[in-house]
Amino acid sequence: MEDLPAQVADRLRALTFADRAVAYLYIDDALALIGAGGCLEAYGLGALSLGAPAVEQAAFLEGLLPLVETPWLFPSVELAKGRVADLHFWRDQAGVWVLLLDVTSERGTAQRMQQKAYDMTLLQEREAALNRRLEAANTALLATQRELEAAHAELARWNKTLEERVAAQLGELERMSRLKRFLAPSLAELIVSSGDESILESHRRDIAALFCDMRGFTAFAESAEPEEVLELLRDYHATLVPLIQSFEGTLDRFAGDGLMVFFNDPLPCPNPAERAVRLAVAMRDAVAALAVAWRRRGHQIGFGVGIAQGFATLGQIGFEGRFDYSAIGTVVNTAARLSDAAADGQILVTSRVAGAVGDLAELSDIGALAIKGLSRSLPASNVVALKSGRHQKIVPLNRQTR
Amino acid sequence: MTTTVQKKICMLGGFSVGKTSLVKRFVQSIFSESYQTTVGVKIDKKTVTLGDKVVHLILWDLAGEDDMSSLRMSYLRGSAGYVLVADGTRPATLETALSLRRRVEADCGPLPFALLLNKYDLREQWAVSDGDLEALRGSGCRVRSSSARTGEGVEDAFTDLATRVTH
Repeated sequence: MEDLPAQVADRLRALTFADRAVAYLYIDDALALIGAGGCLEAYGLGALSLGAPAVEQAAFLEGLLPLVETPWLFPSVELAKGRVADLHFWRDQAGVWVLLLDVTSERGTAQRMQQKAYDMTLLQEREAALNRRLEAANTALLATQRELEAAHAELARWNKTLEERVAAQLGELERMSRLKRFLAPSLAELIVSSGDESILESHRRDIAALFCDMRGFTAFAESAEPEEVLELLRDYHATLVPLIQSFEGTLDRFAGDGLMVFFNDPLPCPNPAERAVRLAVAMRDAVAALAVAWRRRGHQIGFGVGIAQGFATLGQIGFEGRFDYSAIGTVVNTAARLSDAAADGQILVTSRVAGAVGDLAELSDIGALAIKGLSRSLPASNVVALKSGRHQKIVPLNRQTR
Repeated sequence: MTTTVQKKICMLGGFSVGKTSLVKRFVQSIFSESYQTTVGVKIDKKTVTLGDKVVHLILWDLAGEDDMSSLRMSYLRGSAGYVLVADGTRPATLETALSLRRRVEADCGPLPFALLLNKYDLREQWAVSDGDLEALRGSGCRVRSSSARTGEGVEDAFTDLATRVTH
């Protein structure tokens, strides 16, 4: 400045400090304020007391004094009232000088530039975060798509086999329906589920055959209205068929009022004659109860049963589309003839059957009967009743076919 | 008898983590939605009373750390403690805060500090896992969640630090 004329130096000082607040503090080694000047008010330092501790009056000095290294600069420090200064520290022999040089304007410019840079960076960070979320969502979508494709393939595979499975199930239903016609439903299901239909093949077996029909039915059918006849038959069948099923007899056939049942095939039965007699007694009791109602309506209907035991040929007979499971042999004919010969309420049995159920039932000998188709007469007995205490529960048969 | 002390506390952390907003919430109990970056340092004062002690906290709110401008360690001269601030929605800012801690400890020694995971009001966007926080606590860090917007955790964090720097 010494080389400049006073007018120029003054002008230069005016231009430099026109919009800048410059202030200073002077602090001794005891940290007391020993001097202050300039635009102190601009920095909120208007009420300073010389001689008092400097740090208590200028809070920004906290921790900075005593200054070990000088000169020292703290750039761009925003103090009270929003004024920003570069703080220059240096010391001389008496103490430390602090110059507050206003850089508010420069700080504003730097702040605007930095703000743009940070805004841009934040935007990029958000974009990157958004991209990461999109990628994660995309990955999840791809995984879902793969799962869907797998499920679709599985579905296609199932569809492909569905027809075969439906055909197989239909076949099973058809077999079941066929077997149910001559077996108790539970037995039919058993055979179908086991898949063993070998029992339908022709074979020989010692069976107890039971025939039964109504007495006086033919006369009734001739005189009664068809609807009345059908109603009576419905009651009759609805009463007897469940009994047959509960005794696990094999229902061979029913024609009008005649029914044929046999035991010991296809399920083995330890005492087929006993079981047949028990069924016959239960049938007789049930039909007797029905007959009471029929008699009230003027119908004299009775009931007779014939039972025989012996070997028969069993198996599927008929033709494609109309098969039955049936028994053929003398034992069947004998049972049928005994049924024909039985009076109302009688259960006629052969001597073999009578021998087998002697402990079970009270029998009355009715002598030898002349049976059509047999060269010699046939001794027969009537089952009067089951002996007292022999009305035990029916034991389920062993569910194993031979 | 009441004693009065004055302590310098520095606010450190990455840019836009909410250092200035935390100071504004603590000193003036206000919050501004607009973001204004800090250049250099901004000095504020807050007085708290801790029992029979009146503590003037001189808060140096330092410009945020970024890739281009690193912290001027000279600003920390004479500091009694510091507050590290990270943004819970930006995991990288936690790394920045932990890096700053290492640098401060290397230069100034083990000063008392508090680590604030700020912007807790946006916790549905939180990207720092509970496991990370537990690991930090396990390493001795005093980690707190805070929200300059709601004020949650702010007063407690500064008061706790003031207690530690005046003991």
